[in-house]
Amino acid sequence: MNLDHLDDDIRDHIERETRDNIECGMEPEEARYAALRKFGNVSRVKEETRAVWKRVWLEQIYQDARYAMRTLRRDPMFATVIVATLAIALGLNTAVFSVIDSVLLKPIVYPHADRLVWLNEFDSHLQRDFTSLPDFAAWRKQARSFEAMAAFTPQQAAIQTSNGVVQMNGLEVAGDFWRIISPRPALGRVFGPDEQNVVVLSSNFFEREFAGDPQIIGKAVLVDERPFTVVGVLPSSFRFQLPAWWASSKMDGYFPVTANELARFRAGSVVAELKPSVRIEPALAEIEVIQRQVIQSSPMRPFSPTLYAQPLQEKLVSGVRRALIVLLAAGAFVLLIAAVNVANLLLARASARQREIAIRAAVGAGRMRIIRQLMVENLVLTFIGAAAGLLVARWAIAALIRISPDAVPRLGEATIDTRVLAFTFVVAIATALLFGIGPALSLWRGDLHRRLKDGSRASDGFANLRFRRILVAAELALAIILLTGAGLMLKSFWRMNQHPAGFTPEQILTFKVRGPGTAKLYLAELIRRLESIPGVRSAGISVWMLFSDGRFPNDDAPHIVRINASSPGYYRAIGMRLLKGRWLTESDRHAILMNESMAREAFGATDPLGQGVAIPERSTVVGIVADLKYGKLDASAPAENYIPYSEFGGPVPSTNIAISTPNPAAIIPAIRKTIADLDPAQAAYDVKTLDQALAESIAPRRFNLFLLGIFASVALILAVIGVYGVIAYSVAERTREIGVRIALGAQTRGVVRMVVIEGMGVALAGILIGISAAFGFTRLMANLLYDVRPDDPLTFAAVGSLLALTALAACAGPALKAATIDPVIALRDE
Amino acid sequence: MRRDERIELLQGTLDLLILRTLLFGPAHGHAIAKAIQHNSDYVLQVEEGSLYPALHRLMKRGWVSVEEGPSENNRKAKYYRLTAKGRKQLGSETTKWEKLAGAIARVLKPAEVKR
Repeated sequence: MNLDHLDDDIRDHIERETRDNIECGMEPEEARYAALRKFGNVSRVKEETRAVWKRVWLEQIYQDARYAMRTLRRDPMFATVIVATLAIALGLNTAVFSVIDSVLLKPIVYPHADRLVWLNEFDSHLQRDFTSLPDFAAWRKQARSFEAMAAFTPQQAAIQTSNGVVQMNGLEVAGDFWRIISPRPALGRVFGPDEQNVVVLSSNFFEREFAGDPQIIGKAVLVDERPFTVVGVLPSSFRFQLPAWWASSKMDGYFPVTANELARFRAGSVVAELKPSVRIEPALAEIEVIQRQVIQSSPMRPFSPTLYAQPLQEKLVSGVRRALIVLLAAGAFVLLIAAVNVANLLLARASARQREIAIRAAVGAGRMRIIRQLMVENLVLTFIGAAAGLLVARWAIAALIRISPDAVPRLGEATIDTRVLAFTFVVAIATALLFGIGPALSLWRGDLHRRLKDGSRASDGFANLRFRRILVAAELALAIILLTGAGLMLKSFWRMNQHPAGFTPEQILTFKVRGPGTAKLYLAELIRRLESIPGVRSAGISVWMLFSDGRFPNDDAPHIVRINASSPGYYRAIGMRLLKGRWLTESDRHAILMNESMAREAFGATDPLGQGVAIPERSTVVGIVADLKYGKLDASAPAENYIPYSEFGGPVPSTNIAISTPNPAAIIPAIRKTIADLDPAQAAYDVKTLDQALAESIAPRRFNLFLLGIFASVALILAVIGVYGVIAYSVAERTREIGVRIALGAQTRGVVRMVVIEGMGVALAGILIGISAAFGFTRLMANLLYDVRPDDPLTFAAVGSLLALTALAACAGPALKAATIDPVIALRDE
Repeated sequence: MRRDERIELLQGTLDLLILRTLLFGPAHGHAIAKAIQHNSDYVLQVEEGSLYPALHRLMKRGWVSVEEGPSENNRKAKYYRLTAKGRKQLGSETTKWEKLAGAIARVLKPAEVKR
């Protein structure tokens, strides 16, 4: 290498010069000194020569980083606080990004995902998509804009496995379902559009219920007592990435929709693949034309929902996009607060380090060199923080997936991958720049010589302190916005969980049994036995359905109505309240019970009692019950009709049973035994308290509340640390002044008041700014709230006072410290 | 010669002088320094040490190569040699320098130019 002989070369040079000098008549020693003088500083020359070949700045950054590590190790407390702050802020942001990346940003894994569209009829009555399968069949046959079209609908089924008869979450599919999804089966194959009585199993179900035995492929198994051939098993990597209103993406098996179901009324969801170069609007227009013909050819259609089309990816995330963006904003706020806090700590330390920096400048370090060294220190801190943050993020993602497995589509796929790492890296650098800029600027503007002269009492006084106060006020303002958001969501949650007196969902146990409609005698006997279990107050049956041909008086149009065919014990078990008329009995015929909303819808202001309706046949209204939210917490109670279970005829896949008991967990074994005793082929499934079921109905909201709550708490803690830091620092700065005041006779109370007023001035400014800003921000989250206005004054007042109180507590420590300053020590301390 | 009359070298000029010196053939560091002083009638004062970073800069750019060679008293010495690339560079640098020197001269002595 070129540098190898540099030392020899230089020695040779000097020897030659020495020899020349001797030849000119100098004494040997004198000659050598002259040569050296002429050569200049040997070690500097060597260094500069080496520097020619090196990337100097890299070398210096490495030196700076090592220096930074030494500095940090000297003050471990300081380093720990900063690293912990950054780790939490960066970790939470990494977790949120990871969720957003997998839910919103990553494309759907199916081929031609960009051409997949959601094509459905939206029913305003049910507030969900509700496409009739015969309509779908007509679209698929006639439309020219689509490469493929598929429909699917969830269907519980009982399947005979090696573990006996088990309940499975099935999906009935029609049309080109498998063509659109294009999975590569782990075993066997998927079925074609015209096959019947076949089933494809999920990898998980296959492993669990068939012990992963490949022999099952091609064999027949009993599904709802009919033979189905197992044709294939999906790979474990298979992802169900279609919108599922029933909020579960865990499918156990896939069946074809039976041919006669495609011909009669049944609801499903439709997904279609556009032909290349066909845009979504003309494709929708084509379907609209077809749909008009379909409606004309069947004039007695009960309803006409709105037809719409939307890119699949957009549809999949539409429900959670707003919530995730609110979380992203919350994450950004936490990061800002953390950056402000770190900047504050660094500013405090920068004043303590001014002497060191002034000395470095005096021995020849340029301003840029010093600023670069400070920035490298910041980067070192940030990268340690980011590394720790990744651990926080791993934990947070695992926690999120655990609390809300089905709340958010594709959430389960969230991991820390290279994209997420890149995000964290970029955000970390941006954070380091953000919190480093203040301290660097204060250095840039400062007069280094004055600092060196000033000696140990170096302080850039009010400018620096005022800057830090502004930072703290900003921090409090940001924290207020977050806390208000979290507070509004908490209040929504509280509003949702307010139940009327007499409704105690935690004491209601619900489960399902496979209940074919013919088994009325079986169910009656089951209820009789269940009610005789000690501890059971009442037990009842309910089958819920939609009836599409409901007729009201004074109105010719058919209506979709909800019918709950239930036994008298069911009303008692749930805790319904009768407002007017009487309850239904087992022996009632052509009698119907309505809830308030239903009565209002059908009869308006007229007294419904004794009126006639055609639901499902000609019936007389015998009673009105109060509206009750026992299905979904974050929506008002739906309009509903109740008929006696004995009047209900059709076959249903499963029957709901509700039991009222003071201690649900304790009687579950007795219930299982009772069911097995009566019919060994039967088993209870979906066993949970109504409380749990209701909680699941608001799982996405719980998920949001949990995250926003964590963010808000972190923000609160950081803001309090910020207030404490700046006040404590200000007191330390003013030790001498306060000492003088005390020596001149200032009272303890006066000193405390002075410090508290100083701190609370900053805090109140921040709180006021924050509250005004929060009015703007909370409006963005209006649709995440329930029964709470985004400008709810109570929440704002509560958050404001909470923060004012915590700020006051943060001032208390430094204030007391100021009051106990001993003037003698304070003055001698100089 | 009085010390005052010696001229400190401008940054970058040293590179040009080294290239020019090596045009006469390969030389070791000490010889280059001596040659620069001698050829400038001792007006140009090189702090001899600064020769080495400059030589290495030129090597890095590929204008100068280095080789081992015998020296008078049987010791090995490093000889620096102008490369073809360096020769070309010397040409363009010299032109540039002459332009600069001429321009400065015209600014300093405008009358002479007019005459």
